[in-house]
Amino acid sequence: MSPAYILKRIVLVGYTLLVVSLIVFAITQILPADAAVMMLGENATAEALAALRAQMGLDAPIWAQYGHWLAGVLRGDFGVSMRTGQQVGPVMIEALGRSLLLALFSIVLMLMLALPLGIIAAVRRGRIADLVVSVISYIGVSLPEFVTATLVVLVLADWLQWLPATGYVPLTENLLQGLRHLVLPVLTISVILIAHVSRMVRSELVDVLHTDYIRAARLKGLPGRTVLYKHALRNALLPTITIVALDIGYLLGGVIVVEEIFALPGIGRQLIVAIQSRDLPSIQAGALIMAATYAVASFLADIAYARLDRRIQYD
Amino acid sequence: MIELLRRVLRSPQGALGLVLVGLILLVVILGPWIAPYNPESLAPLQRYKPPSAQFWLGTDQYGRDILSRLLHGARATVVLAVFATALGTLAGALIGTISAFLGGRSDEAIMRTVDAVMSIPSLLLALLIVNLLGKSSLNALLAIAIAFTPGMARVTRSVALAVRKQDYVNAAIARGESAGFIVWREMLPNVVAPIIVEMTIRVAFAVMLFATLSFLGLGAQPPASEWGLMVAEARRFMHLSPWMILWPSLAVAFVAIGFNLLGDGLRDALNPRT
Amino acid sequence: MSSLDRRRFLAASAALSGFAMTGFDVAAQAQAPRRGGTLRVSVDQAAAKLNPLLTRVNPEYLISELLYSALTRLKVDMSVEPDLAESWSSSADLLEWTFNLRKGVTFHDGSAFTAADVVATFEAILDAKTASPARQNVGPIAKVTAKDDATVVFTLSAPFADLPVTLAYTNAKIVPAAVIKAGLGRLDREAIGTGPFKLVSFEPERLIVVARNDAYYDKARPYLDRIDVVVYPDISAESSALIAGDTDLISTAQPTEYGRLAKATGVKGLRVPSGQFCNVNFGCDTKPFNDVRVRQALALTIDRTAMVDFVTEGYGTPGNDTPLNAAYRFYSEQALKKPDIAKAKALLAEAGHPNGLEATLIASDRPSLRTQMAVALREMAKPAGFRINVETMPHATYLDQVWKKGSFYVGFYNMQATADAIFALLYTSNAAWNETRWNNAAFDKVVNEARATVDEGKRRQLYAEAQKLMHAEVPSIIPTFFDLLAARREWVQGYELHPRGAVFRLDHVSLGANAPKRA
Repeated sequence: MSPAYILKRIVLVGYTLLVVSLIVFAITQILPADAAVMMLGENATAEALAALRAQMGLDAPIWAQYGHWLAGVLRGDFGVSMRTGQQVGPVMIEALGRSLLLALFSIVLMLMLALPLGIIAAVRRGRIADLVVSVISYIGVSLPEFVTATLVVLVLADWLQWLPATGYVPLTENLLQGLRHLVLPVLTISVILIAHVSRMVRSELVDVLHTDYIRAARLKGLPGRTVLYKHALRNALLPTITIVALDIGYLLGGVIVVEEIFALPGIGRQLIVAIQSRDLPSIQAGALIMAATYAVASFLADIAYARLDRRIQYD
Repeated sequence: MIELLRRVLRSPQGALGLVLVGLILLVVILGPWIAPYNPESLAPLQRYKPPSAQFWLGTDQYGRDILSRLLHGARATVVLAVFATALGTLAGALIGTISAFLGGRSDEAIMRTVDAVMSIPSLLLALLIVNLLGKSSLNALLAIAIAFTPGMARVTRSVALAVRKQDYVNAAIARGESAGFIVWREMLPNVVAPIIVEMTIRVAFAVMLFATLSFLGLGAQPPASEWGLMVAEARRFMHLSPWMILWPSLAVAFVAIGFNLLGDGLRDALNPRT
Repeated sequence: MSSLDRRRFLAASAALSGFAMTGFDVAAQAQAPRRGGTLRVSVDQAAAKLNPLLTRVNPEYLISELLYSALTRLKVDMSVEPDLAESWSSSADLLEWTFNLRKGVTFHDGSAFTAADVVATFEAILDAKTASPARQNVGPIAKVTAKDDATVVFTLSAPFADLPVTLAYTNAKIVPAAVIKAGLGRLDREAIGTGPFKLVSFEPERLIVVARNDAYYDKARPYLDRIDVVVYPDISAESSALIAGDTDLISTAQPTEYGRLAKATGVKGLRVPSGQFCNVNFGCDTKPFNDVRVRQALALTIDRTAMVDFVTEGYGTPGNDTPLNAAYRFYSEQALKKPDIAKAKALLAEAGHPNGLEATLIASDRPSLRTQMAVALREMAKPAGFRINVETMPHATYLDQVWKKGSFYVGFYNMQATADAIFALLYTSNAAWNETRWNNAAFDKVVNEARATVDEGKRRQLYAEAQKLMHAEVPSIIPTFFDLLAARREWVQGYELHPRGAVFRLDHVSLGANAPKRA
């Protein structure tokens, strides 16, 4: 992995963000709503509107507004929320932290369950275990988050009353309560991930187990376990990493719904609130930060892939 | 075609998927005729009824029959998802094929831009677009189509790149055919099979996405019986009647499972692995 | 913590903090509110605006009421009591009002409260650039002057009997003149009021914390040390939290949740009849609704008793197309309109729509009962030939594109303090939000006459006339009124649910001895 490759990838991340910033700005600018009207709501008077438009620079030409906004973003200044009057940047970054926590727990849970399920299914291909795993994963990938969320809330929160239905408590404020509030959202997000990744692991592993390389290892008389864990699994995990990286994009989308349902004040919920109230600076910042998160995640996955790939080749 | 069908039926996923999708199509076509009640008329005395012989799946907050609403709503839910996917696929296929055909720097530029657009989660992109266009089923359809386009462009391009190296394309270039002719007549037809597989799986995703948009209040409008909207509305009444939220949730999952299975079955049928 | 553990823990902590009760014997405790403790009250949406002149929704009102004071204050029976003004009087012609201010009051930043602050506040409210909702709701104020440090004179542009009541308006909170001069933007992030509590922290989407203001002008109140205002955007989660004992009080409970709440052990459901209503607004200057027969026809399709069930789950009362109901002082009863499809059809035909007519009814998605009502109306009106399409939209879009501009949409309004306040807000031709454009001269005349009348009997007669006009001409259909619903833990004392919907008076609340101690 040459420095030139890394540099190229970094440039690409930059290009991605530029394109995203253009799209997001364009969409928010042509939203059929006057930002000033949105901000003043029911009590907008002509005088108040004019004053606010001038203050927000809404009377400047659109490319100038874009330039102004982008320059602000580069300085880390995302502007002021139209709804609350607070600085958007810090609010969104804090919200992103909560979302990443949610994502992190979900990925950990996913790895803990998806790998064993995928391996069992591959090793016991065509048997009952394989069938069970595949039925579970089909159901898993076919449940939209809002359905999963509904079901887990109905069963675990309402009927059994084991866990709080929604809400959020910072872990720093009360660790136990904080974790209890995270269980259902994490569970909801993980379902699709587990289903998807366990299928991937299974199919990659099945392919690898059929390669000459593994057959040769078997013929050499290596024990089945060694073949499986030392050789086959490593090769099968490689493509899986890429899938996990791609799933992060999905994860971020899922976060929007899950946070909305569980009233978890992460970046997804901030975005929904911003979209519903047409809070343009918040929409712009939220969408851009989300895309940036994805771009960085896939950049890291690429680097990790390249590193692992070399090690395995020369192993 | 018959051969393909036979191959799909040979795999358990394919067979089951075909049966499920067949059932769904039946409901889409016949739903309104077999529905026992009017899905919209109010019945003040029949509110929040649990499942019974009279109302198989119970009734909702207006006393409307849930089964009838599901049967009527199948069209809104499934047909729009299929159209959205088809539209997104078409646009993506065009972009992907053109990119592959042009090759070189243009290909690089197009694909990097596609990657950039893909870094906006599709739900978010759809949300932004629906907000831009105004909320309605049609706009949700367009939003999903647009959100699907970059992904489909990527898939198509990789297939098309392989096709582009084929002799018949080179022959057409040598004949001096126009670029449009080559893309449209020579390349596109040959990338169709893998795209159809991808498309089938994406219908499942589109059903989910469309339902999610409705759930967030940005797709179908009341009193429509689109399933995502039914779930969203039922959430408020969860403690008065859990059935209202259960049935449409399961219906969405059912359709998604059907298309997922069929997609996998098709994939196996078109390129058998071992 | 199980309830047993909690009780034991409380007994221990009560022994430790025994000094707080010095001077009270056990019998006296039963009457005198217990001091101290933290109340956790939940609200159902974010309190985005902190600036008291700009607040717009009930959770924001709840918070600004804790942090700020007004000149007068609305009691539960809708009459007013002194707040920053100790007493007031008016000239005989009701054109000049004098308010004597409380002395020795300080703002949270330590500066003294004087008449200059009142003058500056009302100048800011009346300045169109501030865009304060109070501007159109505090009454016909022409000029505010400080006679001396403790006396303010309001000069009106028209005789107005209700001024002391309108000065209690949710947005008419007094802020320091110095802050206004330096820029009101500061109040978006901090609170500098004279209210019973001071702001501790402000996370609009999640949690707002206020603590007792020791310098509050009333030495007895507030009883609580601290209030946590917790935001629960999900109503079912909000109920669950109260049932689990995580919160002490739900400020506004939804009809769909109320049954569950009232049944739960340790929870008490609160319900009060109110003038809060949901209505269908017509643009009375726009076809086809400019024809009174079309409006009357639609009003005749509605089964109002069924509508109460559909929209309020039975926690409401049928409406009669006037914004006053029994909760208002000047309500006059008229025969309840009953559905009469044949007559509705005849009226429609007379108006030139023998084949019925098609219209799009717009309902914002917040609160969801707007849609709930729109869909029910659509079905009820069908047999008479109305083909109504329901269109929902985000509340922000609705405010921008439909509200006050559209000609057929669903409105939702809190009860106001007086009959005049609701008429002048929505239905007179110079109404602040003249959304129906009904512009009925006869109606304007009686309302104007009533506001300049002191005699109770005469006023009652005038307002009855106004209600009769609305009942007959239907500028908007008002099919249902809501009872306001809330719920509290049994240990919450002194909380009276206010029918206005925007008034909470939490400084009168205290916690019983069995309340859980919160960190």
